[in-house]
Amino acid sequence: MDVVGLTPVIPVIFAFALPLTSIIVKGNRKIIQAYALLGTGLTLISALKLFELVYSSEKPLIYTFGGWTAPIGIIYEVDRTGALITLLTAALMFLIAIYSYRYLEHEEGLEWYYTLYLGLEAGLLGVLLTGDAFNLFVMIEVTSIAAYALVAFYRGRKDAVHAALKYAFIGAIGTTMYFLALGILYGAFGTVNLADLSAKVHGLSFPVTGSPVGNIVIASGVALALATWAFLIKAAIVPNHFWLPEAHPAAPSPISAVLSGLVVNVGVYALIRFLYTVYGGELTPGLAKIVGTLGTVVITLGAVSALFGALMMNAQRDVKKLIAYSTIMHMGYLFMAVGLGTQLGLQAALFHIVNHAIAKALLFLAAGMFIHAVGSRDINDMAGLGRQMPMATLGLAIATLSLVGIPPFNVFFSKLLLFDALMERSFALAMVIVVSSVTALVAYMRVFYKVWLGKPTKDVTVKEPVSMSLVVLLLAATVIVIGLVAPIVLQNYIEPAVAQTVNYKLYIQTAREYALRLKLP
Amino acid sequence: MSILEFLWDYLWVVLLLTLAVSLYGIIARPNMLKKIISLTILGDVVNVMVVFIGYRLTYPVVPPILPSLSKESLSQFVNTAVDPLPQALVITAVVIGMAVNMLLAVLTIQLYRLYGTLDVREIAKRGGEE
Repeated sequence: MDVVGLTPVIPVIFAFALPLTSIIVKGNRKIIQAYALLGTGLTLISALKLFELVYSSEKPLIYTFGGWTAPIGIIYEVDRTGALITLLTAALMFLIAIYSYRYLEHEEGLEWYYTLYLGLEAGLLGVLLTGDAFNLFVMIEVTSIAAYALVAFYRGRKDAVHAALKYAFIGAIGTTMYFLALGILYGAFGTVNLADLSAKVHGLSFPVTGSPVGNIVIASGVALALATWAFLIKAAIVPNHFWLPEAHPAAPSPISAVLSGLVVNVGVYALIRFLYTVYGGELTPGLAKIVGTLGTVVITLGAVSALFGALMMNAQRDVKKLIAYSTIMHMGYLFMAVGLGTQLGLQAALFHIVNHAIAKALLFLAAGMFIHAVGSRDINDMAGLGRQMPMATLGLAIATLSLVGIPPFNVFFSKLLLFDALMERSFALAMVIVVSSVTALVAYMRVFYKVWLGKPTKDVTVKEPVSMSLVVLLLAATVIVIGLVAPIVLQNYIEPAVAQTVNYKLYIQTAREYALRLKLP
Repeated sequence: MSILEFLWDYLWVVLLLTLAVSLYGIIARPNMLKKIISLTILGDVVNVMVVFIGYRLTYPVVPPILPSLSKESLSQFVNTAVDPLPQALVITAVVIGMAVNMLLAVLTIQLYRLYGTLDVREIAKRGGEE
């Protein structure tokens, strides 16, 4: 059993078999829920095994589809960064599947929800594991289509359909641009394999494919500009952010957690692959100039996003819209860190991806408990519910305190790393982190004050479903634990992962060993 | 061979013009359906461009068949055949594009049922209402 190839295949098989299964069991909700838990649970076990294997081996793991090695066939090449985010994704998807059952108890169509949900998981895992730029395009599309359809889950509501259409339209333009970038890359380098592209950029030899043709500097510039624009759309960075504050709140709360915690990471991860693996390290002067310019642009847009998101948070009445603007702010931080191009910047970005995903998912799930109880997303309707719903309030409190960066919670440590990494570039950039965090704190405190001390506007009989409370509690415990053992996590998981990711020569070498085994006539 | 070179350049110009037209349609047309048609045109333009990247002009045209396994026929085949990999990429992109377009069409139908109009200016005015 090759666990690298198996991990994304499990959710694919479960997703395609679910419509038939639901016909056989006549739409029995309990069986469908058990089926979904089995699918996500098996994926989690597989991801755990993969995580162990990758962290115990010195080299990235390779899986060749059908035995065709790079650059002829599609390969999966997993390094520690990919394995770490894979484990995070699989774990969060499993927990959110537990939460979904009670949240959607009044809704029809649980089987379609889970079909799309498992498809979304398969796409996400494919993006994280692939070692091929075209396969990355396909997996981004799989993720995106599932996400568009899940945003429109409440298909009778105007805001959901409107937001989903907007999201699908802008996303389709973005992926088309990425496809054009791939065509240009192929025209210049004659390959779409990431390891092979990296070898061509750095002037190393690679079997089978020839040398680049034409002017690779101009081709790289155009391709990187188009690809980065597509990733900016996927990660909702200003000026391509406008779909996110509508799309994330319109979805059901568990899906909002998945979208804000995991799906936006696709853009960041793809950019990390392009900037650190393909165009990383020592470059020729022409290429170095292009990559430097791109880094500056990405940092600038990230800083604008961080400040914009923080300011807009203070102007929202809808609690989920407020959290969505917070996502834009955190994506701005990540892009600032990735654009630096330094090892410390990548460490900060990777640690912040993990922390932000956990804390943001917890925040959406805790807010979802209030929304589930009240049936509305307006903060004023939730006034005074805090004392009747201790679990949800605890989750809300821990998540908000963590996200604005109060020690000893986990996000504080990654913000500290971000601050250090940005200080190397300039003091003004580091101050962006501080200013936006303080602005966000004001917005969160307003929500918290309303929920805890406000006058109740409605009489609601509040109940806290056990399964939802358990998931929120577990995530809250994770936030605290990661905060307490942050130095150990950094030393044992983040630093080795980054050290392996910036070592592009090892990435090329591993793929090359397999490629040399090809028996050419 | 100048006629072939002229045709080659002419086709590139036509592709870029079509790209401009599709972008105009996406940005400026208020009707959602017109926007989606423009998006499909954009996708097709990009697909044709990628096919062109792997294309090669030869005259007289030779069918891509390998008559026998010998050095001469192989070298002739390599010198006249076009690159098949961009075509493989494009056929994948076409299938994915079909899936996205179907989803967009379904959402547009749903939008019309809810709003009674497809004019985005009208919808933006009433957007987000419950």
